[in-house]
Amino acid sequence: MLTIGLTHYLIVAVVLFCAGLYTMMTKRNAIGILIGVELVLNSATVNLVAFDRYLGGQKLDGQITALFVIVLAAAEAAIAVGICINVYSNLGTVDVDRASRLQG
Amino acid sequence: MNSLLGQTNLWEAFDVGRDLFLFSPMIAMVCTMLLIVACPIVIGRGTRTISVAASFGIAVTFFLAWRVMGTVGDAAVSGFSAEPFLGLLVADKLSVGFQLLLMVFLAGVSLLWLMGSARTERNAPEFFILLIGSALGMSLMVSSANLLTMVIAIEMASIPSYAIVGFDKRDRVGAEASLKYMIFGAVCAAIMLYGTSLVYGLVGSLSMTEIAAFTVAQMSGGANVTLLGVALSCVFVGIAFKISAVPFHFWCPDAFQGAKIEVTTWLSVASKAAGLVMLARFMSMMCAAVPSELNMNLLTPLAWVIGVLAAVTATVGNFAAYKQQSVKRMLAYSSIAHAGYMMMATAVFIHPSASGAGAGMSAMLMYIVIYMFMNLCAFGVTAMVSWEAGTDDIEGFNGLIRRSPLLAVPMVIALMSLIGMPPMAGFIGKWWILVALGQTGTLLGWSLVVVASVNTLISLYYYMRIVVQMGIRDSGRRPAFSSPLSGLALVNVCAVVLLVLFFAAGPFKERVAGFSTSLYSVTVTSPVSHESLAVADQEAGQ
Repeated sequence: MLTIGLTHYLIVAVVLFCAGLYTMMTKRNAIGILIGVELVLNSATVNLVAFDRYLGGQKLDGQITALFVIVLAAAEAAIAVGICINVYSNLGTVDVDRASRLQG
Repeated sequence: MNSLLGQTNLWEAFDVGRDLFLFSPMIAMVCTMLLIVACPIVIGRGTRTISVAASFGIAVTFFLAWRVMGTVGDAAVSGFSAEPFLGLLVADKLSVGFQLLLMVFLAGVSLLWLMGSARTERNAPEFFILLIGSALGMSLMVSSANLLTMVIAIEMASIPSYAIVGFDKRDRVGAEASLKYMIFGAVCAAIMLYGTSLVYGLVGSLSMTEIAAFTVAQMSGGANVTLLGVALSCVFVGIAFKISAVPFHFWCPDAFQGAKIEVTTWLSVASKAAGLVMLARFMSMMCAAVPSELNMNLLTPLAWVIGVLAAVTATVGNFAAYKQQSVKRMLAYSSIAHAGYMMMATAVFIHPSASGAGAGMSAMLMYIVIYMFMNLCAFGVTAMVSWEAGTDDIEGFNGLIRRSPLLAVPMVIALMSLIGMPPMAGFIGKWWILVALGQTGTLLGWSLVVVASVNTLISLYYYMRIVVQMGIRDSGRRPAFSSPLSGLALVNVCAVVLLVLFFAAGPFKERVAGFSTSLYSVTVTSPVSHESLAVADQEAGQ
């Protein structure tokens, strides 16, 4: 019978990371890029919790760090969406390629 | 050893009173933010009320940092060995000194803001909360000795910065600038966090001391450190974003040009300086973990990576500044170049002699102090000229020497200092970096000396363009203008400081060197508690 071990969690995290990285690189919509960022942050959370569970022993550093990551992600999302709304009301779009007044 | 909850009795592990005292400047900053939140409810949200509250908070923070400075003077309390906050944060002369400097700079930026944008701005409370919030993040950045606090500090500094760049909601350029800054920052932070999680998995701890000890132990044992290298590179992405090192500099010119000029002044110095001090701390931790001076060669690849990045950063910054018409954007690129020079100094740390590390460290700190004054001066003049001209284009400087000599003279001093010409402080800053690089006597050191010198020559051209514009070009129709008295005082005081620091270079260097000692004289004692992946996997499976 298959036992779920550390490797399985790490594979999930790597898949999430790659998906996030791909999203960040290919999406031109600011919200799309932010979704990619969230995927990468979640892969970090999965990593931290899995490492903590399998390697941490008595330590809880990984779990606590994971909690902090969640809080950071929430704070960042709040500001990011605020900025996106501001950009939308000014430029009428949240396409990062259309934001091109500053160049050179 | 550094486990957050692993202690049998948490309260025995650290002295709460002492730790809170060491932390008091940052608590004061938080209280200032709360005070500014309360002000609109109790008194009113007028700019005057809020700026009084903010100045009070800045003064209290400065005072508390001054008191803390007195305590950390003796080595027993300062440094990494005493490990306040269970090794999450440190309070040493470097971090407290940086807080003092940051408060001075914050006061300067606030003054600039009150003269400029505050006239049309009705959201003073929000502005000051964001400004002080990012200052808090930067203070945390220089005090963090753990990857977790590093990440939190970087985010704490970045998130208010994104908002403050796009502070004026009607400003289309500002909105675009904040969007670019935010997207870039969020991506870099995410990659940094992923790297942090990998480091945790490999090392079993997020403490910088243990990471350094683990890395060096692995390297001297001949183990394969590729994965650890990848993880640490991911972490480095976050720091490089703050320093705006190439190739993580793309946000910098756009964010700096789109932001209000007061905000540009703030970010161009404070956020980069905090990132550099953080990098310096990281590098010196790595060096401290190397058991003997002869084994320092283990870390040579790290020195090369930092050195090459620094050289590329300086060069890219200078070449891009060449063709800029907007003075704000030109100064943004120049700030990238200066970050490159300062990074060169951190590459010196890894050198088989304590004097090399000490020279590099004090050169970098001196450069930060000098850079703060010269940028405040240059941006202050640019701000007042652009308010008068209505644009930050270089044309606004036409004939400034006749129109407003009290602005033109400090600007010339600041620009000469940015180039690195005597008798301005910028010269000694650059000189000590070059000396520190040369002292290493390595190929890397000498190549960086050459790169820095060539870059100085390149930078001569674009800084001189402004000087020429101010002096030779006829002002024609443009009338003389008067600037606010406090603004003239601000830039002229900065210019005088730049001259004084040149002539008092010796005592200045001695003082700064005292601030850096806690960094390069670190000794690492904590053992590495790492279990190999395979063994732990088996145990978990049982």
